[in-house]
Formats: sequence, structure tokens, C-alpha cells
Amino acid sequence: MKLFHRTIRDLHQMLRDREISSVELTQSVLDQIQAVGDRTKAYLLVTKELALRQAHAADERLRSKRDVRPLTGIPIALKDVLCVKEVASTAGSKILKGFTPPYSATVVERLEAEGAVFLGKTNCDEFAMGSSNENSGYWPVHNPWGLDRVPGGSSGGSAAAVASGEAIAALGSDTGGSIRQPAALTGIVGLKPTYGRVSRYGLIAFASSLDQIGPMTRDVVDSALLLQAIAGHDPRDSTSSPKPVPDYLATLGDGVKGMRLGVPKEYFVAGMEPAVEQSIRDAIRLLEQQGASIEEVSLPHSDVALPAYYIIAPAEASSNLARYDGVRYGYQAEGARNLIEEYMLTRQQGFGAEVKRRIMLGTYALSSGYYDAYYLQAQKVRTLIIDDFKRAFTKVDALLGATSPTVAFPLGAKTQDPVAMYLNDIITIPANLGNVCAISVPCGLADGLPVGLQVIAPGFREDLALRIAFAFEAATEFHKAQSPLMGAAA
Amino acid sequence: MSAIATKYEVVVGLEVHAQVLTQSKMFCGCSTDYLTAPPNANTCPVCLGLPGSLPVINRRAVEATIRTALALNCEIPEFSKFDRKNYFYPDLPKGYQISQYDLPFSRRGHLDFDVRGAPCRCGITRVHLEEDTGKLLHEGAIHEAQSSLVNFNRSGVPLMEIVSEPDLRSADEAREYVMRLRAILQYIGVNNGDMESGQLRCDANVSLRPAGSSELGTKVEVKNMNSFRAIHRAIEYEVVRQTEVLDSGGRLTQETRGWNDARGLTVSQRTKEFAEDYRYFPEPDLPPLDVSRHWVEEIRAGLPELPAARRERFVAAYGLTPYDASLLTSTRPMAEFFEETVRLGGPAKASANWILGDFSRLLNADHKEIQESSIKPTHLQQLLHLVETGGLSGKMAKQTFDAMYHAPDPAPALAEAKGSSQISGDAELAGLVDQVIAENAKSVADFKAGKEQALKFLIGQAMKLSRGRANPQRLDALLREKIV
Amino acid sequence: MPEPTSELSSREVEHVARLARLGITPDEVLKYRDQLRNILHHIEALNRADTSKVPATAHPLEERNVMREDRREPCLPADAALRNAPSREDSYFKVKAIQE
Ligand SMILES: [Zn+2]
Repeated sequence: MKLFHRTIRDLHQMLRDREISSVELTQSVLDQIQAVGDRTKAYLLVTKELALRQAHAADERLRSKRDVRPLTGIPIALKDVLCVKEVASTAGSKILKGFTPPYSATVVERLEAEGAVFLGKTNCDEFAMGSSNENSGYWPVHNPWGLDRVPGGSSGGSAAAVASGEAIAALGSDTGGSIRQPAALTGIVGLKPTYGRVSRYGLIAFASSLDQIGPMTRDVVDSALLLQAIAGHDPRDSTSSPKPVPDYLATLGDGVKGMRLGVPKEYFVAGMEPAVEQSIRDAIRLLEQQGASIEEVSLPHSDVALPAYYIIAPAEASSNLARYDGVRYGYQAEGARNLIEEYMLTRQQGFGAEVKRRIMLGTYALSSGYYDAYYLQAQKVRTLIIDDFKRAFTKVDALLGATSPTVAFPLGAKTQDPVAMYLNDIITIPANLGNVCAISVPCGLADGLPVGLQVIAPGFREDLALRIAFAFEAATEFHKAQSPLMGAAA
Repeated sequence: MSAIATKYEVVVGLEVHAQVLTQSKMFCGCSTDYLTAPPNANTCPVCLGLPGSLPVINRRAVEATIRTALALNCEIPEFSKFDRKNYFYPDLPKGYQISQYDLPFSRRGHLDFDVRGAPCRCGITRVHLEEDTGKLLHEGAIHEAQSSLVNFNRSGVPLMEIVSEPDLRSADEAREYVMRLRAILQYIGVNNGDMESGQLRCDANVSLRPAGSSELGTKVEVKNMNSFRAIHRAIEYEVVRQTEVLDSGGRLTQETRGWNDARGLTVSQRTKEFAEDYRYFPEPDLPPLDVSRHWVEEIRAGLPELPAARRERFVAAYGLTPYDASLLTSTRPMAEFFEETVRLGGPAKASANWILGDFSRLLNADHKEIQESSIKPTHLQQLLHLVETGGLSGKMAKQTFDAMYHAPDPAPALAEAKGSSQISGDAELAGLVDQVIAENAKSVADFKAGKEQALKFLIGQAMKLSRGRANPQRLDALLREKIV
Repeated sequence: MPEPTSELSSREVEHVARLARLGITPDEVLKYRDQLRNILHHIEALNRADTSKVPATAHPLEERNVMREDRREPCLPADAALRNAPSREDSYFKVKAIQE
């Protein structure tokens, strides 16, 4: 077993015991990036020098036993939507090519304070808009489980990096499933915290009322450790919650005995692959064997979640992306005769097709005469979805279902059909709209490709989602399955 | 103007933008002191609209807006929120302005003022809060410049928009409305009233309709008026222009026109290809606000006396004419100057006359405000005292005031006037001294018995008789001489 | 409420692109029109939900009155604000003529 195969918790112990140094560990991961990076294309930028500098600093901290934290010396990858001071941060878009922010995101500062090591910026769908990572403004990411397959999206680079040993853990962002779906498709653990749990300051915005940053890790313990480090109130984000952050590890092992778990019947959607459905049904049975009681529940407005999402998210995005005009930063088109022409050309050339599609959709939905029919109606539907969850959580403690209706699909399979691509998110989107938290945990392989079990818990009950996921993980070996690339000779 | 005014009724509504006096910007901690800072020095990720940055509401700006709304007799709804107004312009870094759309902090108020003594009331539609934009610099006119330079120091400065009902019926009324509004904003400390530098800006919607009609005519928005005079001239110009168009059978177009102060006319600004569609929607980055009644009352309790109330008090307490009281209360510093002068003993009527007369004339010539002058209430009061006691002629007083005004320190000029008005001749003082000795036998006896205090009393009596003009040192000497 | 879908016209696509300041070729107008029509067709499902008595959710959290005190914080260091600018002159951002 190489160092890059291990989990945060294992490595933390080894670092503490001075069995290894952070520099050795970091070098091991950098070597793996070197070995398989051109196959996964997981990174847009590898910050090797920064990583080694941070690893040295972490070793100093470990040596002097001064303020040693669970993430001290642990190499972590950051989705490119996160601003890192003086490090190119592009949100996977050509329009931000070369942009180096003069400030760091709050989560980045928190990880820095922990003494974490930054490996680089991971590839993603442009402005986090996509479900396959094929909308990256630079290049697509390949799934470590099958290089002809997508890794999911939009946090596909972070997922592929963790699944291929190119990072011990990563941060992603989830607006409609962008952490959970790629986690499911690459066989790792992905957690979308409740909106407000993690500061969005410094997260390049896609849809402001939905975006959340969350951990992507090898197992549930690591997920809890990483969440612990980034969660909590931030005065710079007015939508970050002042609710106290519980100790996630403290209750992780409490099991599911006596817990009531609901299975929303609407989540077994048409088009779900039989092998995926089988894995999920097996996983539910396993939790039942662990002592949970399982009951079917209904989230009656699930069918309108996707349409509501495809109004709200593009509407907010159309406004959030208005700032990319080539004046203060980023790409500026050449040859324009005047400013308005320059705006049009810059945005025409700088944005990719999906981003333009969503900007137009969102602009249309907000425009005069359509606001009530689209945007306002979508916000009302959002209330219905929130109420669906509230009602369900009066009967059960948490909900179970698939994360994605399919396993990783071949690259190019859905790029010509936006609607088919949107359907990938059909069972992840409700958690974003419903203001709850959800985790995807590996629950088996179907035809050699990973399947993810989604556990949805009430708002600010990440402790519960983690605890259920951990009970499942502890009773199975699925999370130990490694992608073929993990074994690739360095 | 009266000839045309009989045929058409003038309808004017004003939108006043007032920068809120805060230390930091609306949504970030950058300094609001943008006029003196080097270009783009007062900026941060938030006010530059950098990717990932998020706004946080400045409490003081919110309270200043509610304060203003209360001063303008507005209703304060219990729920309010911010919205995004989406449009592209190079001075708008995010591609949207955080503003308020359907749930502003206040609505339905009114402002009372008067035009040459006649009372007027104008409805206030709403007062809302938003962020200011950056500033563009260009050679020549904006539409002719080959390029522009952008400075974001002003970007994100809190800005109130005060929208009036179309209740104003003349350029005179519009000017008086803005003057009164400006006074209120200064009184309550939310704005510095500086129109020249754009910290207070005014746009006017001007239309005409046949006299007696109740429908609104085609409205023209006039921008770029940065003084009371400009507001007056621009509206007068528009009334004449629109009358001419209508009289010649033409039709007015709904458009925006810019006031060109140098040429004294309004110029059509390019009509847009299509109507702006601002696509307002609730700002997702900012939770809404519950404006509790308790909070409102707290803000109301902090309001100072407003100009209207102060004016009434000046009339009642000091016997001033409503007109003088109105002028004196037009700015808070002037009203306070007046009251302080009176408190120190200055006669009210004379104090008012001096402040509104010579003092204002000199200040206007220098484009200065009363608080910028080196003359303080105590100086004016002392000067008035010399005049009152007869030692200084009106002509001399004017000369003295002029000298006081132009000197960096008014004291020497005042002292000189005092000296020239003092009775120092022993011959003139002898009569006074005799009278005091005759009328205060007990004090004389006390002094003889060694009570120094008694001499002070006698000097005071002599000063009183001389109405302050006697030289106290000479009195001291003469009294000692005569009593012993 | 207007009948929103299926009738999305090329003109509307051009209008929306213009509002969003997105340059768009005539071919793209047709492509986006068809794609957006298809997406809007699926979005029509929104109207299946009875929302006549439902309030809109614009802000998912219950927090209200989130404000900061009026205190100055340090600005960006000199040049950091302008470092990423594609065109600048001295300490200003520079933009092309604004005329349309
Ligand atoms: Zn700022």
C-alpha cells in the first residue's frame, strides 16, 4: 500500500507518530499525479511548489507538536471554483483564464489554518454547470474506473483525483448534485452540507441560493474530518448560519439501531438502471439488518424539482455571470470597435455552450412578462419541496435512495442532448432546493462501475447523515474497492 | 413663464440620490472617502465585483435610510429586502446593482416646504437604499470619447434614492423642494448636501399637460443638474422647449435629456434601442430584514429637531418673520449659529439680520458654508453688543464685520472696534463715578472697611451705566482715588 | 400569465442574447432556439404544481437582519485591484468607447 492509497485518519496517525513526513506524503501524491494525471485530466493546475512549501511547514508543525490538527500535512485538492490567493482560479472557464484572485476563499483559509497541503485546482464543468465534466472550458475529465467514461460533474476533477490517488481528499461544490453525483460515479464519499453550513465566501458563484462547498473523500470518517474543518459561521457570508457546529466524530459510530429510515418512492425514477436499483435495494436491506426500520415515504413534488431547479439556478447564474465582461479581469476579446461589441464578443468567445444556454434560459426566465410564470412559480415550487421534506422528516429520521440513476456513462453520450444530461441530477436536486443535507457513499459496483447510496438528513443534521453513512460503510467493503488507476505503477 | 403656464400645467417629479454618510461602504469595509483617494485605492474584492466575493449589509446605512424616511413622514414596512437590478455598464462591476425593488425600507411620505411664504406639500413615493457605481473619466463628451477610464473608489458607497410624487408644478417649487430636502438630510446627519461633487444628485421628470387635465403627459427625464440653480434653469428650459413642441403641433418623445449648464439647454441622450429590462429579483446573497417597531422607534427617538419644527419655534420664541426663520433653518449649521449667538446674548432680530444679510452675502461670494468661516457666534454677539451699546455706528460695524470675516482670526478687528468705542477719558468717566458713589453708599462703606469685593461691584455698576463702554481699568483707578 | 413555452421565437432568442450581452451567430440563434424550446417544454411541468396558496422561497434560511457595524477594513493593497485588468492606464481600468 502506497501512501496515496490511505485515508486522512490513517495518515494523520502516521504523521503524528513521525512514521512519515508530510513532504514524503505530498511527494507520493505528486508522483501519482505525474503517473496518471494525463489519463484522468483531473487537474487544471498542480501547485507543486506551493504544496511542498506547505508540506515543509506542516512537518515543522508536526515536529514541534505545535497546534497539530487532523488535516495538518494532508494533501488536498481544491475544485477550481474556489479562490486561492495568487493561484490561478478559473472555475473551469476560459473567460477567467489567468485570473489570480487577490484573496482566498474562507474554506481555503480554514484549511490553511489547519496546515493542509494544497495540491492544485481540479477540473470541473465551467462555472460548475454540468453533470459529466464535459463542459469544462479546458478539457474533459476521465473516470479512473473506466477512462472512456465520465467522472460525473461538476466536481468531476475532484472526484477523479480522490478516486485515482491524485489527492487524499478534495473539496467540491454542489448546486444540484455536483459533489454527490461524481462521488457516486467514481466510488468515493461526497457530502453536500445544508445551505448555510459552510461559508460560500470565495466560492465563484453559480447559483447563490443553492451553492454549497463540501468534502469529497475516501471514506465517511474523512468526510466528517474535512467537514469539521470547513463548517461554521463566517461574517463575510451573510447566508452562513450562526448555528454551532457539532463534533461530527463524536456520534459517528452510534449506529442506526432504532432509527427510522424512509425510502421515497419517487426516487426510483423511470430510466434508473436495474443494476443501480438492485444495489440500492440491497443497501437499504443492509441498513435494515443493522437495526433501522425502513418505510416507504412520499415526496410528492419530486417531479417538479428538476424544472424548478432549471429556472432558479440559471436565473441566478445569469446575474452572477454578468460580471465577466472583460473589463477588470479575465478574457477580453480583441478587435471590437466599441465597448458593447467587446462585451458581446468577450462573452461569446469566453463562455462555453452550456453556460451560454443557461445564461439565456435564466435571462429569459427573469425577463419582463415571464418572471411570474417562471421564476416566481419556481420559487413557490421550492417552498413545496421544502415542505415535502419537512413532512417526511416528521415520520422518519433520514431518507435513502440512489445518488444517480445510472453508473458513469461514456464520454460524449449525452453532450448533444441537454435535457438528457439534466436528468442525471433528478434525485440529487431536491436536496439542494429542499435545504437539507445529503451524502453519497459507495454501495457496490454495477458492471464494474461504482454505485452510490444517497442518505438525506434534515437541515443541519450532517451528524445524522454521516452516522448513517458510517454505519453502512462499517458493515460493507465497498469503500475499499479501488479504481484500476490506484494500482497503476508510479 | 406665466403666459405659458396658463395653457399647460407643469408636472415635475424628482428623484434625488443622496450618498449616506458612513465610514465604510454599503457592503464592504472599504472607506467611503473616495474623493481624495488615489484611483482604485479604496477597493476590495466585494466592491470590485471579484468572483466569489459576497456583500454584507452596513447597519448604519440602513438606519440612515429609515431615519430619512421618518423625517419625510414615510411609512416603514415591517419587512424589507434587497434586490438585484441587472444591467451592463463599465462603472457597475458586478453587472448588477444591489438595490431595492418591491419592498423598499419606506413608502408614502411627504415633504412640506414653501415658495415665497406660500406653503407647499410634495408626496414622497419611497426612500430606498442601494449602492453607488464607480466613476468614468473621459476626454470630452461620453459618446464621443474613444475610451474611458474607470475608478471604482465610489463603487459600493451607500446611496439613498428619494423618489417624489409628480406633485411639483413649477421650477420654483422643484428648487424649493430640493433645498428643503437637502436641509433635512443635513439636519439628520445622513448626507453632506454637496451637489457639486455629486454626493447629492437630482434627476427630474418633467412633463406638460393641458391645464385642467388630470392625465400625465409624455415625460422627459432630465439629468446632470448639479446645483439648485441648474435644477431651476433646466426645468424652466424644458417647460419652454416642451411648450414649443406642443404648440407647433409636435409630439414629445419619452427620453432622457442631459442638462448642459454652460450652454443652458438640455440635450437628448441617445434613445435606447429597446426598453431596458432590469430583471429585478431578490438578492440571494442577503437575507431579508424584519424592521421591528422597536427598532423604528429607537431610530425615531434619535432624530434631531427638523427644520419645519425649528422654523416654527424660531417664529414663536424669537419673534422672527416666517421668511427669515425659513432661511435661517435652511441649513443646520446656520440655524445653530443663530441660536448660539442669541444664547450668548445677541439680540434675535439683529442676529438674524446679520446672518442673513452681510454674513450670507460674504459667504455666498466665497461659496462657503457658515461653519467654514472663522467668525463664530461669540464674535458676532460681541460685535452686536458694541452696536447695541451705541459705541459703534452701523457703518463702522459693517467695516468691522468685513475685517473680521477676511482675517484668519476675527479677534483683533473686534478688539480694535471695542477700543475705538471705549470711554477712557477721565473727564467723561468722572460723572459716572460720582453717580455710582452717590447711589451705592453701602458698597462705598464696605470698600472703605477693606472689602475689595465691593469695588468690583461698583465698577460693575459703572459699566452698566455706560452700557459697557467705560474702560474698566480707568474706572478702578478713579473710584479708588475718589473713595479714599 | 403568458403562455411561455414552445413559441420561443428566434427574435426572442436574439433579444435575450442581447440582454445578456452574448454575441450569437445566426446559426446559433436557431440552435439555441430549438434547445431552449425543448428545455422550456420540460420546464412546463412546473405548472402542474398548484401554488395558488404557496409563498415563494427566495432565501432558504430563516436568518434575518444580518448586518455588520459601520467599520472600515483595509482595502486591497495598491495594484492588487488592477493586476488582473486586461487593459489599464496608470491606476485606472481602461475601457473602449461607450457609444453603441
Ligand atoms: Zn470594498
